[in-house]
Amino acid sequence: MKQIETRLREEAKRLLETGEVAVVLAYGRGYDDRHPMPYAAKTASDTERIVFNEYCTHNMARYLMDYPPGTRIAIAVKGCDSRAVVVLLQEEKINRENLVILGIPVTGMKDPKTDRVIDASTTAGTPNPVLYDILLGETVPESDASPYVVLEELEEMAGADRWTFWKKELARCIRCYACRQACPMCYCDPCFVDQAEPRWADKSPSIESNLMFHLTRFYHLAGRCVDCGECSRACPMEIPLYLFHKKVAKECEEMFEQAAGMSVDDKPVMVDFRVEDADEILL
Amino acid sequence: MEFEPKILGIACNWCTYTGADLAGTTRVQYPHNIRVARVMCSSRINPSFIFRAFELGADGVLVGGCHPGDCHYSTGNYYARRKLAVTKKILDFAGLEPERFRVEWISASEGTRYADIVKEFTEEIKTLGPQRRFAIRKGADE
Repeated sequence: MKQIETRLREEAKRLLETGEVAVVLAYGRGYDDRHPMPYAAKTASDTERIVFNEYCTHNMARYLMDYPPGTRIAIAVKGCDSRAVVVLLQEEKINRENLVILGIPVTGMKDPKTDRVIDASTTAGTPNPVLYDILLGETVPESDASPYVVLEELEEMAGADRWTFWKKELARCIRCYACRQACPMCYCDPCFVDQAEPRWADKSPSIESNLMFHLTRFYHLAGRCVDCGECSRACPMEIPLYLFHKKVAKECEEMFEQAAGMSVDDKPVMVDFRVEDADEILL
Repeated sequence: MEFEPKILGIACNWCTYTGADLAGTTRVQYPHNIRVARVMCSSRINPSFIFRAFELGADGVLVGGCHPGDCHYSTGNYYARRKLAVTKKILDFAGLEPERFRVEWISASEGTRYADIVKEFTEEIKTLGPQRRFAIRKGADE
């Protein structure tokens, strides 16, 4: 981790000094080591503040579209974050020429709230970046564990029990929209839930309107969710949203044979079709 | 009193809606439980329509489109197929009775088939009973 931090600082400094990029999106010190923050370095001296440790879970791809089109940006990405960058490229939201991608191969990141290790059995099952210009460190061995094992328990439940589970979880939602704000794929302006006309979902946190918001969000992320798990870590009520996103991702992978953000040449599954798609998927 | 379900039908203008029209003009009898909304193409259907219908108390939702390959816009129903398949999986995983949501390809000449499907679906919903999970208007379950 320390080596990655040093290399990250060096590369950021070089890129900013040579003027290759205008901004470096990486991690900066928060109020203590356990709480690093997303950080945008804009001058060579800023790079002193860049940190990298096991608590740097944030998906920096979230911030790519905050800059005017044409801004040259360097971005530090872990495995899943690079997939998010790929999805944004597929959707033509950002331009590859304006990007310098600093890949960080890493395992053993920790959730700052619980100190639990984040691994393939929960979220972030991609340890190595899928797309990068500069790789900071050695590639790490890929885990054999399926990212979907964690779903087994829920999948085996009867429908009514799953309803009880989700009703309990989603009823806690206070509609702070932290999940949406943390999500690299949620860039719509305005978000459907903020629209006054048509009013898709009521704004007050009741179970029905919470379902309306979350189910629609799960659908909007179908075939796009890169399983970084930031929504669940951002959630102040600790709702395991990642379980639902994983399930939708799994179904998309099974039905359309393509995982989100693995290659820039792929077309997102929901804006694509194959004549041979089976009608059975509708059953 | 027997339970009379409320079913939302969303029909594509070119096939299913015309098929429903044919059912009407040929005087085929079918249950009045279905309320049909017309859209220009099944791919116009936003999955939130379906969630919203359930939220507002629909007991079932029946979506009708052209047979694959027959779409008036050539490819609309291929996109719709993917979108509605994911919608179904989402309803299933949330435990919201996916049987209440059904997609059928009904062409403009299949008036009797339209009537048969509506009959069958209405019977199915009747056996399932009122939808009380997602519905605001009917009060939450228990």
